[in-house]
Amino acid sequence: MQRGLIQDSSQNPQKQQRDRINRVFARAVVVPTVIALALIAVLLLDTLYDTVSVQVVEVTETSGKSFALGQALTADQVIRLELAAQGKSEQEIAAFMSDPDEMRIFRLRNRVELMWATQDGPLRWVVSSLDDTRIKNLSLIEGLRQWNELKQSLNENQQLRLNPWLDYSFLTRDPSRNPISAGLRVALFGTIWLLTMTLLISIPIGVGTAIYLEEYAPKNRLTRFIEVNLRNLAGVPSIVFGLLGLAVFVRGMQLGPTLMAAALTMALLIMPTISIAAREALRSVPDSMRLAAYALGATKWQMISKVVLPATIPGVATGVILAAARAIGEAAPLLMVGAAAYVAFIPRGPLSEYTVLPVQIYLWISANLSEFANTAAAGIVVLLLTLGGLYALAFWVRRKYRVEW
Amino acid sequence: MVQEVAIGHETVRWEPVPAEDAVVQVQNLNLFYGKHQALYNVSVNFPRNKITAIIGPSGCGKSTLLRSLNRMNDLVPGVRLEGKVIYEGVDIYDTQVDPVEVRRHIGMVFQKPNPFPKTIFENVVFGLRLQGQKTGLDEVAQRALERAALWDEVKDKLGEIALRLSGGQQQRLCIARAIATEPPLLLLDEPTSALDPIATERIESLLIELKQHYSLVIVTHNMQQAARIADRTVFMHLGVLIEEGPTNQMFTNPRDKRTEAYITGRFG
Repeated sequence: MQRGLIQDSSQNPQKQQRDRINRVFARAVVVPTVIALALIAVLLLDTLYDTVSVQVVEVTETSGKSFALGQALTADQVIRLELAAQGKSEQEIAAFMSDPDEMRIFRLRNRVELMWATQDGPLRWVVSSLDDTRIKNLSLIEGLRQWNELKQSLNENQQLRLNPWLDYSFLTRDPSRNPISAGLRVALFGTIWLLTMTLLISIPIGVGTAIYLEEYAPKNRLTRFIEVNLRNLAGVPSIVFGLLGLAVFVRGMQLGPTLMAAALTMALLIMPTISIAAREALRSVPDSMRLAAYALGATKWQMISKVVLPATIPGVATGVILAAARAIGEAAPLLMVGAAAYVAFIPRGPLSEYTVLPVQIYLWISANLSEFANTAAAGIVVLLLTLGGLYALAFWVRRKYRVEW
Repeated sequence: MVQEVAIGHETVRWEPVPAEDAVVQVQNLNLFYGKHQALYNVSVNFPRNKITAIIGPSGCGKSTLLRSLNRMNDLVPGVRLEGKVIYEGVDIYDTQVDPVEVRRHIGMVFQKPNPFPKTIFENVVFGLRLQGQKTGLDEVAQRALERAALWDEVKDKLGEIALRLSGGQQQRLCIARAIATEPPLLLLDEPTSALDPIATERIESLLIELKQHYSLVIVTHNMQQAARIADRTVFMHLGVLIEEGPTNQMFTNPRDKRTEAYITGRFG
């Protein structure tokens, strides 16, 4: 006790001051975290908010009915009711619905969707025709506040709807000049095509580079130079890769604005990321594993392919998924290599034209119809969900397959 | 720079192993890491179906000598070697000999247990798979695990990842992995230094069992271990082979004063 270590220190002024400083610091570092989270929350909420709008629609001709969920559960049942409402007989409806051409045209001209609120009541199916004109497109809060006034001021063939832009049919509709029928299908297929091709090109190159640098290359100045440059390459702005792709693939190799040119460009963009992740994974395999394989009579290639590479799969997979997430979100380089044009069809092969999610969103945002802001918001939500899913997958892969040496 | 100890040194030999009883004959082996010489003119015969211990203080070249028996030193950049290592009548350092082939004949177990991050079964049959064997793996795995005294503990979980085993079990698994391909010679580099006394005791009794089937060379830091299990002992110091002979004679009556000093614990 002579040093006073265990004495009651609550009265000690020095200790009180230390505690005060600690508390202040502990609070000070919380502030940036809160700010960052708040900013992300605001961004997300704002985007989600924009995916819903209140519309006053002037419907054409006979259509424009809404149907309660009790009447119809599936979109096909709704179409059946709609056709009946247009005055078709049972046989005509059956013939119409079994004819794929007729149905395709119907779906191109009409949008069948479940809406949260209409003037007839909540949660009803609505069939909108593309010829409908939308008199008003109000944001959610504004629209709900004026809901009753709007409802009273409706003309005979006008309707009031709460339109959720992001619904299942949004993913299955083709792009359109008419926002009400514009969808993500082409962009989704384009993204899947582009991502697949990009990964097919960049994984072998990235992982191969990593294997060479880690396992084969002599550790000298040249390999250090390559390594440093690989890291620098990962930090180059993506638009620069776009310029390179434009010069080399689109113009030089005369690929034109095709998926192939885009995939090569994106592969260049994410190859350094994959390569770095693969190198880290290779480095994390202890040398004792290599020695054990050699001691059992493995050749160098057997050692790499049977022991080292399998042990790196979680690391490489995580790196690849994160790189894929980056590739999915990139718009700038693709605008350079020709995804900017309006594309109405899903890609048929590596040399077709294409569009992808971020480019589609970019096109919608820069369109002048105000309703495209709603489709863009819906597209952003889809993109964010995809990215979130990929990050979750990467996290899961890392947790599940991590090797504890 | 030549170590003083190496000049004019004559190895003390007790009851040398005749060439016909030797599984490996090391003849006038000099080994260099770059400019540093790690082994000086080492000559020794390792007997068949016996345990030979290599002892000596840290940095004496005992691991280097062991690794030169299966050409693991080849993996170190800048290594250079003079002399002969004759295994089954063939100099394994002959330019015609493929080091991969050598290592398939001579098994090795390391200081730290190093099972692959694969299942227990895949670990045991790894050497066989390397050689392209596809059938009879189950029997080989069982026999190897039985000989490694591990079968009873793992027979119900052969599909589990080997890294979940305890340290002692992992090391016995590494022994099973090494003997699955039936190598006539098994090299062990301080196989128990990372294990607790109970696991060590199990490995030691296992090694005594194993010498019915295999010839063993074990590097050890632990003189009691050498005394317990080794039939012959080789004492190395500063890259020079000081003294070699039957363990009990060497331990009770060392002729070289350095051997005596080391064995009685005065240095090392």
